[in-house]
This record gives sequence, structure tokens and C-alpha cells, in this order.
Amino acid sequence: MGKRQRLAALVTALLLLPVLFASARGTQEPPGEIVINIASGAVGTEYERLLEQAERYMADHPDIKIEALSTPDLATDRLGLYLQFFEAMSPDLDVYMIDVIWPGDLAEHFVDLYEYGAEAQAKEHFPAILQNNTVDGKLVGMPWFTDAGLLYYRTDLLDKYAYGGPPATWADLEAMAAKIQAGERAANPDFWGFVWQGNAYEGLTCDALEWIFSNGGGTIVSPDRKITINNRFAIEAVDTAARWVGAISPPGVTGFGEEDARNMWQAGNAAFMRNWPYAYRLGNADDSAIKDKFDVTPLPAGRSGHGAATLGGWQLGVSTYSTHPKEAAEFALWLTSAPEQKYKAVKDSNNPTFMSLYDDPEIEAASPFMVKLYDVFINAVARPSTATAPKYNETSVLFFTAVHNVLTGKLDGRTAMEELELDLQDLLGYPVGQP
Amino acid sequence: MKSKNIAARALRSSLFWLLIVLIFFYLAFPFYWAVNSSLKTEPQLQMTPATMVPRDAGGDFAPSLQNYAAVFANPRFVRGLINSCIVAVSTTVLALTVGSFAAFALGKLRFRGKTPSLYVILAMTMFPQVAVLTGLYAVIRTLGISAIPGMILSYLLFALPFTVWVMTSFFKGLPTSLLQSAQVDGATPFQSFYMILLPLTAPALVTTGLLAFIAAWNEYLFALTFTSIQPSARTVPVVIALFTGQVSRQEPFGEIMAAAVIVTIPLIVLVFIFQRKIVAGLTAGAVKG
Amino acid sequence: MTRSTELVKHEARLAYLLLLPSFIILIVIAFYPLASVFVNSFTDKEFASARAVNFVGLENYGRLLGLTVKPLPPLTDPASGQIQRDPASGEPLYERPVKVLPREPRRYKELRQFNLLGSRYVLGASDRNFIRGMADTLAFTLLSVLLETFLGLIIALVLHSRFKGRGLMRAMMLVPWAVPTAVSSRMWAWMFASTRIGFVNVLFQNLGLGDGQIAFITEEAWQLWVMVAIDVWKTTPFMALLLLAGLQLIPEQMYEAANVDGAGKIRQFWNLTLPLLRPTLAIALVFRTLDALRVFDVFQIVLAQKRYSVASFIYYQLIDNQAAGYSSAASVIIFFLIFLFAVLYIRVIGGVQNEE
Repeated sequence: MGKRQRLAALVTALLLLPVLFASARGTQEPPGEIVINIASGAVGTEYERLLEQAERYMADHPDIKIEALSTPDLATDRLGLYLQFFEAMSPDLDVYMIDVIWPGDLAEHFVDLYEYGAEAQAKEHFPAILQNNTVDGKLVGMPWFTDAGLLYYRTDLLDKYAYGGPPATWADLEAMAAKIQAGERAANPDFWGFVWQGNAYEGLTCDALEWIFSNGGGTIVSPDRKITINNRFAIEAVDTAARWVGAISPPGVTGFGEEDARNMWQAGNAAFMRNWPYAYRLGNADDSAIKDKFDVTPLPAGRSGHGAATLGGWQLGVSTYSTHPKEAAEFALWLTSAPEQKYKAVKDSNNPTFMSLYDDPEIEAASPFMVKLYDVFINAVARPSTATAPKYNETSVLFFTAVHNVLTGKLDGRTAMEELELDLQDLLGYPVGQP
Repeated sequence: MKSKNIAARALRSSLFWLLIVLIFFYLAFPFYWAVNSSLKTEPQLQMTPATMVPRDAGGDFAPSLQNYAAVFANPRFVRGLINSCIVAVSTTVLALTVGSFAAFALGKLRFRGKTPSLYVILAMTMFPQVAVLTGLYAVIRTLGISAIPGMILSYLLFALPFTVWVMTSFFKGLPTSLLQSAQVDGATPFQSFYMILLPLTAPALVTTGLLAFIAAWNEYLFALTFTSIQPSARTVPVVIALFTGQVSRQEPFGEIMAAAVIVTIPLIVLVFIFQRKIVAGLTAGAVKG
Repeated sequence: MTRSTELVKHEARLAYLLLLPSFIILIVIAFYPLASVFVNSFTDKEFASARAVNFVGLENYGRLLGLTVKPLPPLTDPASGQIQRDPASGEPLYERPVKVLPREPRRYKELRQFNLLGSRYVLGASDRNFIRGMADTLAFTLLSVLLETFLGLIIALVLHSRFKGRGLMRAMMLVPWAVPTAVSSRMWAWMFASTRIGFVNVLFQNLGLGDGQIAFITEEAWQLWVMVAIDVWKTTPFMALLLLAGLQLIPEQMYEAANVDGAGKIRQFWNLTLPLLRPTLAIALVFRTLDALRVFDVFQIVLAQKRYSVASFIYYQLIDNQAAGYSSAASVIIFFLIFLFAVLYIRVIGGVQNEE
């Protein structure tokens, strides 16, 4: 071995060593201090707000340190991240912000909050949400803020075409949208009647559930674990929606997410939109083309006689791999308590999950629109995440794929729902039933 | 006859220039669109039909710098740039060093097990990234490696085979006579590698280095997972993906485009400078015959 | 000739030493992840779950690759025994595939119907998404790599000749490759938006090719082309740069000699440039094909769950269905496919293998 070669080998080894063994993460906590790590969103002021709240909590609890970790906004990315942590059984995160459809699938990774004193506040929350978060008697997540689907409509256009008020049924909606679209097209070739979320993703499950449930077609899988999707009302609802595509909704609506629908709506290119409450404030921004020209109302009804709004929202859960579950649970319960929910409602327009807060005068003053939503939230329909636990995600994928196939014309409603029923039977093993 | 030659040459030359212009537009236009979008506010982005330059409702030219302001005000973005640089440079340097050593052996030296070695090295890149993600994450965690070294090592998994194969091919392309004449002169194989062959493969080194650098720069999936618990180590693609609007579900498209522009321009400038130096070095030290 | 045997042994030792760092790195990083992919493919392991892991043998593979062909009998009117026909077209009506395809031990779903020798058949797959994903990935790879190589070669040839502004062109050439994929995919998705918010729709309308409402990303006919367009834009620079480096290694003298011999530009290209470029071309093709077969970012960001590539299929199986064992089996399948491609390329095009 020549000297040069030895030198080369040594250099290479030296280059590699620090890289290979650089371990910089000291997870030693200073004695006496408990660190609680909370995974939160990084949206707008959400993160800053959490830090603010954490500061106040730390002031009251000097032996606790709260650290907040921002995670991706896109649900699949966030879920992917969480799953990595759970797979590694990581104690790095104590409190998780979980979507309303995750408690069922992820129940095994969270502690039962009833064991940590959640009983007291539990009954003050919207019952639908609480039921959604309870898996086999175990409270997996404490409701933090909620969301539900709404119908946005253009007040100026309704006036222009001499309609007294927003549509009460889907058939009304279809007729009104068609007429307004026909009228507006002359001046605006990009105008469409109704925009919504038709892409093949969880958002379509939300929209489709609204059509189906409001038509008396059930909730895909009933709470008592029967597969109810293959019924004529559900088929009728989905076929109706398929009829809208290309007629009152753009052909590209089968690729629309929330933002795509909002982009069309906010530019003034749509008469109706189905979306979540977040679009309200954005629509009234100073540079919005539709400022002060729209309003919201609960979604139209189908055969059942009442409209349906899919329940959204976020909860806080405590990981079973946490080294300080008690302190973490205390923090989670504090964050989701009424005073803190009110704080977020006033500052960020997050819809609280405490029923009593909808009567609160301060909240009404800060956000009058929010108080109107009480009726929507109390009647919201939850997706069958708990009934299909731990396979909700797969169920949802099968469902939205089937609906998407009908919307794009690949299948007719009857075949799609029939195949969906078979698929669900294979997946879940549940019996078939009536909605 | 002479005029025909001139005409033919003029035609060829103008076709050549047309080709250059077309290529330039094909490569550059989407970037122009990114710049255009980055200068638009949200309502301008929502306008139909989409405008070639930012315009307000009245049709007047109305660019806005608010997206750039928002991006620069974001401290995570600047840190993300630094992290990306560290990771990309380290990956490239390591891949080129280790890779050239291996490539010299595989390209010029005689030994048993060449073909299997090449295939084993290539086999590393035959799995989709998402398939090895979980396993890699487990390895990184078990070895206690922190985020940035973890990313560097993971990117090597894909950069090293590429470097080895490209450099092997280039080493093979170099005439054996050079190696032999050096040996006749009494140089050890390593000396001939270091002093003669390596400088000759400069274009290959630059090329591979550039491509490895940009691949590491671009990578998102591993970076997202490995930096999940260490936000200070996040690289640029992760930071941009975590850009959010004022409210949940809002996608700040204008800001994302502004970030894309900010990220790309220094890269172009760097490449522009770097490339000229290497080309100059090449023509100066070319070996005749 | 003791000296030359000594030299050979010396060379071999040096070679092993030089290869050592690469192998150390690869073994440390890659061994466990790759081994676990293989091992998991034979189990029903769930991702992030404490559920017991069972060995299931080739069950995952069977489910992924299961294909069957079944005849579809024509529907007959029970009363008259006549074949029912579609009143509009006169075509006979056939039984619905969902009634014909087997359900045990696995359920097969309709993939495609076709006519053969007067009878109608249905091709069923037990995992329709995987089979379609494979087909789409292969089609994407073929189109993408062909276009990229062709365009890359042209660009490399152009940039190889001397002209003013060459440096700038070389730098600009890298723009598509330099923009992070996560960002450029979103940018292209925006450009391909289904209404006139998207540039391409506006362009098509101005060129008279459409009404401005073409849904590029949701219409089956357009989807793969959109993917190819984005990928070609992004990776042509990769090919161009690699091929350019290969061109630069061809000594000027050879062209001078060819000019002296009176060979025209085209002949020079075919008989001189291409053969000498072969090794570089082979490498470029191998790596581009490998990358194209593993395409993930573009499909996940733009098409998400509307249409899968093999890699995005694996991702969604892992994250949405938490099916670690199943997705590992899919990874192994694509691994073997890629391995096959690599071997084929190297054998056919040669380069690294062949001694000069």
C-alpha cells in the first residue's frame, strides 16, 4: 500500500466519520422540567396563537415547558408524518392535532382522555363531535374547533334574477343555477352556476355525503355497522350530481378542491358554492371581487326534507408513547376549555365546539357570522369514521373513487354503488342494511 | 455556385438561431409564468382569462411585491435556504469523492467482481423512494443521527450510484495508453488516477456534481419526514410546502411562486459563473493526441 | 513476468480499497430498509400499528398481480330466448361483469372488455389500481424518455457549437431542473387548470383549439400527456447536460480529421458522434428510465388519487391504508421490473460493459 493510498483511505474515513456519528439531538431534559411537545398547524396566525397560549400556560405552570411543532397543512402529508412517529413509537410528540376522521383509525395510539378528567367538560361539546371521537368507550380526542359545509350564494345575482331567497332543495339549486348561468354567460364566458369539490379526495367524501344524507340515503356505513350505501336514494343523489358536471358546474369540477372552487367563486365566476366557513372571511377581503355581495345558508335538502352538512374540525389527542401523559392531557384539556376556545373564536374565527359559546355576546360581536352557524353545527352529519374504525381511510377512498367514477361518466350510479357495496363488504366484513 | 453556398449557409444559420430561440422559450416560459404569478395578488391570480402580466380589474399593468415581502419576512425560508445549501453541497462533495474512487476502480483497474459490484450499486436506486422511507427513518433514528446528516446519507443512496456509473463510463472512455504511459514512467495507479485521469474527467465531474446537487436540492419526501421533529433543519422544498395562507385550507399560490423564483435565480447565477471557469480550464489543459 | 502479476494483484487490492467507502455507505444506509421491504412483502404488516404481524407467503403478490379472463354471455330475453340488443346501436347486450367475475378467494374487478372471435370477454384484475398504475407508469416512461432523449440531444448539440450567449443558454437550460419539483408541479398544475385561470386553456382558446374549459387534469385522454409534458420540461436539462458532457469528451481532432476526409455534418453525426456518444447515452437512458419508472412527485401532486403511478400507489397504500406488507410487495415488483430494464439497456446499448 503506497503512502498516497493510505492517505486517501484515511481522508475518506475522516470525511465519513463525523457524518455517520453526528448525533446532535440531546433529548436530555433539565431535571425538574417537563417538556410537552404539541404538533400543530402552521397556518397563518394559528402557530403564533398557539405560542401565545403556550406562554400563558407556562406562566401559570412554571415547571412545564411547551414546544410547538408546525406540521404540513395538507391532510395526507400530516397523516403520513404522524404515522411515521407512531410506527417508531416516538415519545417526541405528546399532544397531536387530529382531524375529525382520524380518531377511529388512530385510536390505538392515543390515551383515553376520560381517564384524565375529560368527563367534566365532555358533555358541553356538540354531541355529534364527541360521539365521533369516542371509540369503544374511549375518548380519543378532545374537540378543539369545528367546521361544517355551507352553501354560499350571491345575493346580488339572486336579486337580479328575482329570486326571493336561497334554494331550499337541490332541485331548486339546479334550476336557479342554470338560469343565472344562462343569463350571466353573455357578459362573462367564464361564469358557472355551482362550484364544489369534485376531486377524488376526502373533500369529495364530504360533498357526496351531504348529497346522499340529505336525500335520505344514509351515511355509507350506519353507526350500528351496517353497509347502507347501495340504496336508490343514494344512487339518485350521485346521479343528480353527475348531471351537474358540464351543465351547471364546469367539467373541471371533478378536479376541484376547496381552493379551486373558492378561486372561481371569489373572482365572481360562480353563483353558488359549497365550501367550508373559511371562505367567508376571505370573500369579504378588501380586494375581493365579491365583497359584500354574498351570504351563506345551510345546504339544500333532498328527499329527507332537511339539508346535511358534513362535520369537519380538529381535536387534540395525547399520545400513548408520551412520557408525560398526565401533564400533556392537562394541557390539552386546558387548550380545549371554554375560555381558550372563546379566545380563539374571537381572535381567529375558529368555530368553537362548546354549545354554550354560541350564545356568547363577545363572540357575536367579533364574528356575527359564526353565531349563525350554530344550527348547522348541531345538525351536522359525521362521516362514518368511528363505525368503520380502523379502516375509515380505506372506506373513504373506495367511496370517493366510486363517486368520482360516476361524476366523470365512467360508471353509472347503480353499478358504482353496487360495486362499492361489494368492496365494503370485502373490506369491513359488515352486513348490508337499510339506511 | 458561390451565391448558392452563401444562401445555404445563411439559411442554416437562421434555422440554427430559430432553434435556439425556440429552445430558450420552451425552457424559460414556465419560469416566466412563475415570475408573472409571483407578482400577482390573489384576486389577480383568480382572474379569467389569465393575464400575461399582472393587471388590475381595469386592465392596467399592476404588479405587486407583496408575495416577495411575505416570503422574505419568513425567517424559516432563509434558514431553509441555508439548510438546503449545506445538505446539497455535502451530498455532492461526498458523492463525487467516494464515487470517483469507486469509478476509477471499476473503470480502469483489473479485478474480479466488477459486474456484480456495478449492479449491486445500481440496485440501490431501483426502489421507489417511498418504499425505503420507513426503513431509512428507522435506521436514522436507531443510529441517533440528526436530521441534516440523516438527509445527506439518504441522498447518497440515490446520488452515489448515479455518480459511480457516470464516472465509470467516463473513466472507461479515457485511453488506456495514458494510464500505461504513466505506469511506465513509474507512477502508481493511484498517482495516475489523481494527477492525470481525474483532471481529464472534469466535464463529467462538473456535470455529475451539478445534477447531484440539484437532485439533493429538489428532494422533498425524505426531507419532510426527517426534519419533522427538527424544524430548524428544514430544507427549502419543505419550507415552501409548509407555506400557508392566512387561514387553513388557503393555498398561497403567489407566495409559493415568489419562493420558487427566489430559489432559482441564485442557482442560475452560480451555474453561469461556475460553468465558464470549467470550460476555460478544459480548453487550457486538453491533452493532445 | 512476476512484475506484471504483482501489478495486477496490486491493482486488485487498490480497487477493493477504492470501492470500500461506497460499499460501507450503501450497506449502512441501504441494507436494513431494502431488506425490510423484501421481508415485509411476505407479511400482512400494518404501518404504525401494534397489530400482530402474520406471514402470508405470496398472498400479497397474488392479490397485486391477479388477472383473469372470463367470457361474457349475451343477455337473452327470458320469454322469447332472443338475444337482447341495444335499441340505439343494435349491438347485443352482454351480462354485467360484476356478475361474472369470480369473488372467491379474491374479488376480481373489471379492467377491460374486449371482443375476440365474435365473443365478448372481460379482463378482470384483483387490484385494478395496481395494474392500471403499472400500465400508466410504463406508458409514461416510454413517452417521457423518448421525448427527453430526443430533445436533450438536440439541445446538447446546439449548445456544443460555439455561438454568442452560449454561457447564458447553458445556465438557463438548468432552470427547469433547478426549480424544486414540489413547486414546479404545482405551477404546471396551475397552468393546466381546467378553466381560463390556466394559461394552457387561454393559449388553446386563442389558437382555436378549444373553448377554454378543457379539463386537462381530469380527462383520461389528457392526463398522461400532461404528466409527460411536465416531466419532459423538467428533466430534458438533465439529459441535455449529460449528453453535452459526453459530446465535450469527443476530441476536436476527430471532427477535423473527418472534415479533411470530406464527410458532411450529417454523416459525421451518424458515424462519428453517435457511436462515441453511446456510453453516455446508455447511462443517461438507464438513469432516466429508472427515474421515470419510479416517478412519484408529479403524480402525487397533480393527479393524487385520480390516477396512480406505481410509486404513488405505494405511497397511498402505505399512508391511507396503512398496508405496509402490501405496499412492500408492490415495491418488490417494480424493483424487478426496473432491474429487468436496466439489464436490457446495458446488454442492448452497451457502454459500461463493453471493452473498447
